[in-house]
Amino acid sequence: MRKTIRCLLVYLVLCIGISTAFSQGLTPPSNVTAMDTPNDDGSSITIKWEAAPERSSISGYQILRRIAGGGLEEIGALLPAGTTTYVDSSIEKGSAYAYVVRAVTETEATVDSEETAPAKGTGELFHTGKIPLFIAMILFSAGIVWNIYYARSGKEIFVRRIPGLEAVDEAIGRATEMGRSILYSLGLGRVEEVPTIASMTILGQVARRTADYETPLHVPCRDPIVTNVVREVVRTSYLDEGRPDAYNEDNIFFLTESQFAYAAGVAGIMTREKPAAIFLQGQFFAESLILAETGNSIGAIQIAGTDSEHQLPFFIASCDYTLIGEELYAASAYLSREPMLLGSLRGQDWGKFLIFVLMILGVVLELAGVNWITTLLQRVS
Amino acid sequence: MRRQVPLILCFVFGIVMIFTQFSPHSVSQTLYQEVISWALIISPFALVLATTTLIQTHVTRIRRRTEHWQYSFLVFVGIITMVVIGVPFGPQNQVFEWFYTHVQVPMDATMFSLLAFFIASAAYRAFRARTFEASLLLITALIVMMGNVPVGDLIWNTVLSWLPLEDGASGARQWILNNPNLSARRGIILGVSLGVISQSIRIILGIERTYLGGGD
Amino acid sequence: MDRRFVYILVALAVIIPMLFRVNLPVSVSEPTQKLYDYIEALPSDSTIILAFDYGPSSLAELNPMAKSLLRQCFDNDVRVIALTLYPDGTTLASTLIQEIAEEKGAVDGEDYVFLGFRPGATQVILGMGSDISSVFETDYSGKATTEIPMMKDITNYAQISLLIDLASGSSTEVWITYANVQYNLQIAAGVTGVIISQMYPYLQTGQLVGLISGILGAAEYERLIDVPAKGMLWINIESFVHLLIVGLVVAGNIIFFNQRRREE
Repeated sequence: MRKTIRCLLVYLVLCIGISTAFSQGLTPPSNVTAMDTPNDDGSSITIKWEAAPERSSISGYQILRRIAGGGLEEIGALLPAGTTTYVDSSIEKGSAYAYVVRAVTETEATVDSEETAPAKGTGELFHTGKIPLFIAMILFSAGIVWNIYYARSGKEIFVRRIPGLEAVDEAIGRATEMGRSILYSLGLGRVEEVPTIASMTILGQVARRTADYETPLHVPCRDPIVTNVVREVVRTSYLDEGRPDAYNEDNIFFLTESQFAYAAGVAGIMTREKPAAIFLQGQFFAESLILAETGNSIGAIQIAGTDSEHQLPFFIASCDYTLIGEELYAASAYLSREPMLLGSLRGQDWGKFLIFVLMILGVVLELAGVNWITTLLQRVS
Repeated sequence: MRRQVPLILCFVFGIVMIFTQFSPHSVSQTLYQEVISWALIISPFALVLATTTLIQTHVTRIRRRTEHWQYSFLVFVGIITMVVIGVPFGPQNQVFEWFYTHVQVPMDATMFSLLAFFIASAAYRAFRARTFEASLLLITALIVMMGNVPVGDLIWNTVLSWLPLEDGASGARQWILNNPNLSARRGIILGVSLGVISQSIRIILGIERTYLGGGD
Repeated sequence: MDRRFVYILVALAVIIPMLFRVNLPVSVSEPTQKLYDYIEALPSDSTIILAFDYGPSSLAELNPMAKSLLRQCFDNDVRVIALTLYPDGTTLASTLIQEIAEEKGAVDGEDYVFLGFRPGATQVILGMGSDISSVFETDYSGKATTEIPMMKDITNYAQISLLIDLASGSSTEVWITYANVQYNLQIAAGVTGVIISQMYPYLQTGQLVGLISGILGAAEYERLIDVPAKGMLWINIESFVHLLIVGLVVAGNIIFFNQRRREE
């Protein structure tokens, strides 16, 4: 019995000794693989290996690569211990590369892994990580397009009342009665920005009414390209209303590109011309309150609209009516009553409904400990 | 024809640019970069257009002797001075820097600082406890305003120390920004994003075409 | 009340505390602390990008932040690549960097570099993701970027530990969309008071590692690095303006309720 215990003790000591010796020694990195990086343009290869044991003396890894027929060359800097992946972005497309992962100790001793099979970088045609986003885009676009064609067939579409847009006629009428002008600012947006395009559409509708009433319309612009497009938009509205003679190109002018110089210019026009109605529609930043408060001080009726949600509080405080966020985009449909445009609003609501459902479902499932919706949405980003 | 060509271009480029976002392939990415570079070329044209439009506007004002036409001369003085110094000698030239530091900086900063006055007058006028919702807005605004400055914490800790809130006005402000503010903002952002997508589809499909102006 | 009366009161609330300096205790908010801790934790010889995306109109709020950040980086041997997406920002950024570099003995090209401005924000951000020197062939003073000693080991965002965007507009969103989402670059921001609330969604999602909010944030940062400067001064003055506005709102409501009672 005593002999057996002694044997067992010796065996135990030996086991501990051997395992300690091996864990502190240098084992080559294992399971090293090299493969084309997924969802890229083919300009990189990803190398993976297994982490070294916790108590090993490895202080870092050096990646070496071999192009077919060539020698091994070091690439990149020494990677810290604990790294298990490296993306080689310095490859030539079409060439095959084999890799070796070299483990380096604090005493600068090294040991190499086995060489991987050669790998090539290949560009993927479709990013598989973006499939959920693609499906969402197709669904949402299909909803809008379907509703546009639904509206085209002549079916009635309900759109809720938007007080800011109802007041457009009132504002123009008031300016006409008072014999004063109307000032329209498209904000700081460039021509390619969607809120600027939305604002141009509203301006087109406003210009139709000013053409009818022969009310002067002033449009100071911040972007020279916007100035020229706006001239075309307003001219077309006056032509459509049969009043080309009333159109005055000089009233639509480029002021300056500088944000606060623009604010100073528009505020100056407000105090000198004293327009009876002011439209602030488009993209605005810190200058929003300067414009809105100056307009307020001259007693003009002000209708603002922006998708810059951080400027909304200023407009709400200083203007008579404010189009909040998406109402700016609904304005063209609302004012023109064009069935196809109204249809797109209905499609937009479908999208919103889908998001509501996803949100509620996500919260309920998350509370129940199921998190696949959250995981799916994280993948989309 | 004048309308068809831009509409076709808009449709083709709109669809192609959407698909480049889903394809990491080098062909698609090169195309994306190329189109972006084309867009950059527009910038110099915009500069020419800006100068021409500005000169036209102010020459017309001087010629017609419209109200305050004398100020149009100042525009030309400004442009000529900065071009004469800036173009040959560059922005690091001492005279250019002097104009920048002693003319542009104070003028821009003055316009920006007007916000302090306008915020005060707008707040005075807008924050009235007319209804329950307006009262809620008023209280929230007061907490955020006080939480934004150190004196808020000082007052909170002196007057409202009996409240079970440890972090004072700044903690309350942080909570408001993190919770009610963020939820409302997200709601608006979602609506705006859907509006942008819907507007973009209308533009790509040629349904929304006011921006093209007139002509068939 | 006539609005001009309100304006006079605001002017007085700014001028009087300037004459009698007051020092109120500033407590540090979590987003500011996070950014400070992040920079403190960076190993020496790390490189960050500091984007001066603002013009002269916002320098009162953003310059104090820039100065504090540069002081902290130079003290911790963190190298700084400065640039701007605003043409108006070049002169102010260049002057400010030189001032702090002189104060801290930082060397141009070794401890910091100012790359200046290039047009087309989106293209600049995307281009730097592939190769910084392809977008900025030279620095602001005209030296070839590849010849600058501290840029020798830097090709693109892969070698950058953090980008801090000092912004008065929507540039932070553009950096997040292109540099963070596409290249995984860590981003923090210092912004003007007007756009603070715009940044909170990104802070909550972790797309911003930290945030310096307006002049209050600037004062908090000065407290963290223990160099009280303009931020501390302005925030004390701002305290009085806020108190005035609160007083005006309360007075406005008293007048409003009195009028309503009389009408009834």
